[in-house]
Amino acid sequence: MAEPVPAEEAADVALGDFAEIVRQHQSMVFSMALRFLADPPAAEELAQDVFMQLHAKLNTLKSPEHVVFWLRKVTSHRCIDRLRHSRVPQVSLDDLPESAGLEFSRDVQPADPFLSRRLQQLVRSLPAKARLMVILRYQEDLSAEDIAGILDMPAATVKSHLQRALAMLRDKVVRTMGEVRTDT
Amino acid sequence: MTHFEDELKDALRRQKPPDGFADRVLARAAEQDSRPAKRTWLDSWLNIFAQPFAPANLLHWATVAAVAAALVVGGVHYRNVHVQRERAQGEAAKARLLLALRIAGSKLQLAKARVDQINSGQVNSDQRHPDPNSDPTANQQERE
Repeated sequence: MAEPVPAEEAADVALGDFAEIVRQHQSMVFSMALRFLADPPAAEELAQDVFMQLHAKLNTLKSPEHVVFWLRKVTSHRCIDRLRHSRVPQVSLDDLPESAGLEFSRDVQPADPFLSRRLQQLVRSLPAKARLMVILRYQEDLSAEDIAGILDMPAATVKSHLQRALAMLRDKVVRTMGEVRTDT
Repeated sequence: MTHFEDELKDALRRQKPPDGFADRVLARAAEQDSRPAKRTWLDSWLNIFAQPFAPANLLHWATVAAVAAALVVGGVHYRNVHVQRERAQGEAAKARLLLALRIAGSKLQLAKARVDQINSGQVNSDQRHPDPNSDPTANQQERE
């Protein structure tokens, strides 16, 4: 028969598990918030809040897959809420300076930094829901069905939003950078 | 996936959070754990059953007793008021019934007197065989 674990020891064990989860998923949560809000301090604050909420709910999550799904879902909804409450002004693409893109991690450089920066700016100009879908699709590599589960909407709606968002992005890239980059 | 989508994927690849992010989250979590949990209103009330004689629960017991006493007094008062109202309604109905009976009795007495009068033959022939040319309303009034 197993001996009962003292409360303090149990808390340490839970915090140990939690630390592992934070280290494992911090990039995912922070990047989602950063790509959506385009404000590093706000993104860090939001990501911290998401993990604090996870800390309070950790006992209710059954599996690692459930944790990942929960993190994506809560981060997505918090991003939307944050935007709704803060009324962050939507910046026009034409007003953005070329250097307005977010800095890349020092260890990972994109193939074409200029195009990547421009694409990040364009993603930020999308409407909130479409932006979130693009982030979940291309940052997290999720299917339309997975995104639909996270955002509580039909998969067909997600697909149509993604198609429209892609068409809009492609069109803007073509206008600003030329045809070559959008070749299939 | 098109070349454009590959570019998009490349542009949106995950980024590492600022240095010390995980440590800051863990510090906040540890701080939250060390903080005594807030006792909710419901918890403090349910505690009176777990520790009924604790001094901290005396006020709760006093409140329970006061509420119970108020409920009993209120219930008795409500019952009294209800009974009184029913009694008053009953009295009023009784008075109305007696009045109706008195009126009906006086009418019956009048009718009986009339019948007795007819039977004793004291009614004159004009009244038994009224003149067809005479005023019918006057005759009616007279009969009444």
